[in-house]
Amino acid sequence: MIHQSQTLRALLPGDTGAEGGQKTALAEIDASCRVPVLFFFISGLAWLLAGTVLALVASIKLHTPGFLAGWEWLTFSNVRTAHLNTVIYGFASQISVGVSVWLMCRLCRIPLPAPGLVTVANLFYNLGVTVGVAGILIGDSTAIEWLEMPRYATPILFFSYALIAVWTIITFRLRAERHLYVSQWYLLAAVLWFPWLYGTAQVMLLIEPVRGVVQAAVNWWFAHNVLGLWFTPIGLASIYYFIPKVIGRPIHSYYLSVLGFWSLALFYNWNGMHHLVGGPLPAWMITISIVASVMMLIPVITVAINHHFTMVGHFGKMRHSPTLRFIVFGAFSYTLASLQGVASALRSVSEVTHFTHHTIAHAHLGMYAFFTMVMFGAMYYILPRITQREWPSNGLISLHFWGVALGILLYVVPMSVMGFIQGTRLNDPTIRFLDVVQFTLPWLQLRTLAGLLLAAGHAAFVVNVGWLLVRMFEPYRKPVVRILTGEAESLAAGK
Amino acid sequence: MSYGPLLFLGILLTLASSWVGLVLMPHRQMGSLGQNTDTNTAAIYPMARSGEAQQGAEHYRSLGCVYCHTQQVRPEGYGSDLERGWGRRRTVSRDYIHDKTVMLGTMRTGPDLTNIGERQSDTAWHYRHLYNPQITSPGSIMPPHAFLFETRPIGAFGRSTNALVLEGAFAPRAGHEVVPTRRAEQLVAYLRSLKSSGDLPEAPVKKEEASK
Amino acid sequence: MSVIAFILLGSVVLLPAAALWALRWAAAAGQFRCPDKAALLPFDESEPVGIETDCILGGNRR
Repeated sequence: MIHQSQTLRALLPGDTGAEGGQKTALAEIDASCRVPVLFFFISGLAWLLAGTVLALVASIKLHTPGFLAGWEWLTFSNVRTAHLNTVIYGFASQISVGVSVWLMCRLCRIPLPAPGLVTVANLFYNLGVTVGVAGILIGDSTAIEWLEMPRYATPILFFSYALIAVWTIITFRLRAERHLYVSQWYLLAAVLWFPWLYGTAQVMLLIEPVRGVVQAAVNWWFAHNVLGLWFTPIGLASIYYFIPKVIGRPIHSYYLSVLGFWSLALFYNWNGMHHLVGGPLPAWMITISIVASVMMLIPVITVAINHHFTMVGHFGKMRHSPTLRFIVFGAFSYTLASLQGVASALRSVSEVTHFTHHTIAHAHLGMYAFFTMVMFGAMYYILPRITQREWPSNGLISLHFWGVALGILLYVVPMSVMGFIQGTRLNDPTIRFLDVVQFTLPWLQLRTLAGLLLAAGHAAFVVNVGWLLVRMFEPYRKPVVRILTGEAESLAAGK
Repeated sequence: MSYGPLLFLGILLTLASSWVGLVLMPHRQMGSLGQNTDTNTAAIYPMARSGEAQQGAEHYRSLGCVYCHTQQVRPEGYGSDLERGWGRRRTVSRDYIHDKTVMLGTMRTGPDLTNIGERQSDTAWHYRHLYNPQITSPGSIMPPHAFLFETRPIGAFGRSTNALVLEGAFAPRAGHEVVPTRRAEQLVAYLRSLKSSGDLPEAPVKKEEASK
Repeated sequence: MSVIAFILLGSVVLLPAAALWALRWAAAAGQFRCPDKAALLPFDESEPVGIETDCILGGNRR
C-alpha cells in the first residue's frame, strides 16, 4: 500500500514531491481532500443557515403564537421539525462526513481514494435532505422523532450513508499506515453503525410499520443511537486527533482510550428506552436502559480524564488556536452533557424532567455545546489546509467563538433550570396547567435572545469561510507556512 | 499487523446485542398483542377507530400535534398524571394496538391528550379551540389553526348549522361565518375518539373511579 | 417470561463475553504492550511531538 501511495505521489507537482518524507504526504493528502470535503462543508454550512433561521422562527412562535400563524406550512410543529432535520441531517451529518473523510485519509496516510464516490454521496445526500425537509413543510412529516422525513426521502439518504460506509472501508483497506489510531476506530464504527440503525428504523417504522408501542421502542433505539453511535464517535474521534495535534503532545493514556471506546460500544446502544420512563412499555426494557445509561459513566469519565490530563499545562494555547478553543469547549461539554444524561435517566429525576424543556436543553448541550463546537474546531483546522489559504479575519473568528459560546450557555443553563421548575410544577396537581405555561414564557423569550447570539456567531463563521473560498480564486501565492508549522506572528498579512 | 476484521466484528457484535434486545425482542413480545375480552362483561377493548377518526389521526400526525401533546398516562405515584385527571389508570401497551403511528410524545408544552375524548366531548368546544385557542383557553401558547376553517359569506338561508359561535374580537366580518373544513371535522372526530380507560387485567381501573 | 429470561441470559452471557473477547483480542493485538506507540500515530517527522500546529491568533507563543 505504501508503494501505491508513492506512485500517486509521483503524479503530483515536483515541488511538493521533492521535499519527500511525511510532510509532503500530509500536504498532499490535504490537497487530495479539497473538492469532496469542501462540497460537504459548504452544503453543510448552507443548511446550518437555513436551520438557524428555522430555529429562530420556532423559538419566537413558542412565546408569541400569533407570529406567522397564517401560513399552514409554517406552523410551530413544521418549523421545529424542519429545524431539527436541517441541522441534524443537513448540517451536522454533512460536516461529520467531511471531517471524517479528511481524518480517515490523514490517519491512513493515503491521498483520498475514489473521490467520485464521495462527491456522488454528497449530491444524493443534499437531494435527500432537500426532498425530506420540503416534505416536512408540506405536511408529510411522519411525526416519528428524528425520523420525520417522509419515506420518499429517507432511502436517498440511506443510499448516501451506504456509499460513505463503502468509501470508508475502501480507504481503510488501502491504508498505508498499518497501525490504527483510536480516532479510526470511532470513525469506522460510526459509519458502519449508522446505516444499520437508519435501515432498521426505516423498515420497521416507515416501510412496514410494526404494531403498537414497538414503534416507540424502535423509534428511541434509533433516535438515541443517532447521537450515541453516529455523532458521539465522530466528535470523540475529532477530539482524540485534534487536541494532541494542536498542542503537540500525545494523548495522555492510550490504554484509557481503548477502554473508553469499548465501554461506549457496549453500553451506549442500550440507552434509548430511558426516553420512555413511565411510559406504556414493559418495565424490563426501561430498566435495562436506565442501567446502561448509568454504565455510561465508565466511558465518559475515562474520556474526560484522558482529555484533561492531555491538556494539563497547555490550556494557555487556547488563546492562539481557534481549533483548540472550540474543541476543548466541546470536550468539556461532552462530559457535562453525559452526566446530565445519566442523571435524567434515573427514575426519580425523569419523573420531573421528562416532558419538559429540560430535555430540550439537554439535547442542545449534547448536539451543540459538544458536537457542533467540536465540528467548528475541526473546520478551523481543516479548511486552511485543504485550501492552502489563511483565515482572512481573526476578528470574525473571535466573534464566532464568543457568539456561539455565550449563546449556547445562555440557552442551556436557563432552559435546564426552567425545565426542572416546570416539571416540579407539572407534578403538583394544585397548580393549573395554564399557569405552568405562563411561567415558561419569560424563559422562552430569553431563549430567542440566545438564538440571536448563536445566529450572529454562525453569520461571522460563514462570512469568514466565504472569504476564505474567495481567496482560493486569487492568484496563487506560496502557502503561508506559519499556520502549518506553528510560527506565530501577527496576522498583518491576513488583514 | 492488521486487526481490521476483528475491529469490524466487535463493532457489529455490540450493536447486534441491543438490536436483538431492544428491537427484535419487544417485537416478539408485543408485536402481535390483540384485543382483550373481559371475562365478566364480554366487553372488548380496545375497539378500532371509525374511518372518520382514522382520517383525523392522519391530520394529527401531519399537523405535528405530538410535539407539544403526549398520549401516555404515567402510573400512580409517578408524576401527577392521574391527579390532573388525564386518565383513570396508567396506559399500557395494549392501548395502542390500533394506532397506525404511535404518538406517545415526549413533550408537554400542552396537556396530555390520551383521554381528551372523555375529558372534553363537546364538538363545538374543540372547533372553537382549534380556530383560536385564546377563545377557550386564554393564555395558551397553542398556535391558532384558522386554516382548518373556512370564512365565507352567510348564504341566502341564513347561518349554517355548523358555523362556529364566535364573539367579540374573534367574530368574523359582518355577514360572514366560520365553518369547519373536512379536515377539521375529521381531526375533531379523532380527538373525540381518544379514550384509553377500558378495564384491562394488566391495568385495572379502580372500582371507586370506575363507578364515578 | 421466557422472553425476559432470554434477554437477561443474553445480556448476562453475551455482553461480558463480547467484552472479554474484545479485551483478549486487544491484548493479543499488542495494544497493551506498547500503548504509547499508537498514541504517536498523529505525529510524523514534519509535525513531530512538541510542535504546535494551529497557532494563528496573534500574541506570543509559549
